[in-house]
Amino acid sequence: MNESPNSSVLEIWQRQPVEVTKMSLTEIRRRADKLEHRVWWRNAREYAASLGALVMLAYSFATTHDVLSRVAFGLFFAGLIWIVAQLHRKGSAKSMPTGVDTVTSLRFYRVELERQRELVTTVWSWYLAPLVPGFIVYTIGHAIRIPHLAAWAGLALLDAMVALAFFVIWKLNMRTARCLDRMIHELNGTK
Amino acid sequence: MSAIETIPARASTPDDLYQEAAQTYGAALERLARAYEGDPDIRRDLVQEIHIALWRSFKTFDGRCSTRTWIYRVAHNVGASHVVRQSRTRMQSLVDLEELENLPHSNTDPDRTHTLDRLLKLIQKLKPLDRHVILSYLEGLDAAAIGEITGLSASNVATKIHRIKNLLARWFQQGGKNDE
Repeated sequence: MNESPNSSVLEIWQRQPVEVTKMSLTEIRRRADKLEHRVWWRNAREYAASLGALVMLAYSFATTHDVLSRVAFGLFFAGLIWIVAQLHRKGSAKSMPTGVDTVTSLRFYRVELERQRELVTTVWSWYLAPLVPGFIVYTIGHAIRIPHLAAWAGLALLDAMVALAFFVIWKLNMRTARCLDRMIHELNGTK
Repeated sequence: MSAIETIPARASTPDDLYQEAAQTYGAALERLARAYEGDPDIRRDLVQEIHIALWRSFKTFDGRCSTRTWIYRVAHNVGASHVVRQSRTRMQSLVDLEELENLPHSNTDPDRTHTLDRLLKLIQKLKPLDRHVILSYLEGLDAAAIGEITGLSASNVATKIHRIKNLLARWFQQGGKNDE
């Protein structure tokens, strides 16, 4: 291979005009702190939302007098605990070790993406299915408690909306899985 | 700026190391970011992200590799994360060196700016690992240094460099044969 033509490309690359970014240490610290706070608040919001839902379910469980409704709220409560636990166990992002070589970092990244893909492709089993028993018992209990056609129609409409919401959640997760697939594909060739 | 510069021994605290790194490798980091992001506004954010990652990284720098290797590793890893994140909106899939060798290319242009634009477009088609290798090669790093940064074996690096040289020669010096 002729060395000089490549040398000229190297020269063009290395001599390209660039405007060097200058960031003071104060500015860097400020931005790093801001980023950490943003991550902290995001996590805090997620846990607060789960905690809020658990408190509401626990309150409903404790105050309702109907047995089937109580069972339904108990099942919702257990389902939500299960979801939060799974999200914490499978969904927590691991931080990449600093200063590792490219092959190691890309492998780490790929494993993380594969884990996320596993999480979204199995959303039925760990996120949607645990809520189903609660909805079934709630529907039965409500139908027994108010044996009117209009009430049953309302209940059927509610269940249809819940089923639609489940379907939308599933479709969105499948779309995320395809996106993750593409990201994983672009990391291939790192073995 | 030559990429073979190293950080002087006087830089010892993480803040000192970062400041020396930013001063010594500032231009190289800008070039690297240019290869990872074409949009100037997004690139500005990427450069800042690299600087923050670098500053943070020096808190755990244990000297087991050279500062140059460390800096390039950190910067490339931020770049790779950026590339993967951007794949959500990218229209075309990335390819590796072998696939890129078979892609059609445009004619040689003596204009340096045009050559640079085409070089950037070529690099931006590559998957992260091959992108790291070609960027390190363009920065003037030798095979041993590229191996240390990427974690690839010497023979693997040699093969990739051979491919890169062929590719650059084909895309920028010959022209005409496989023109679009």
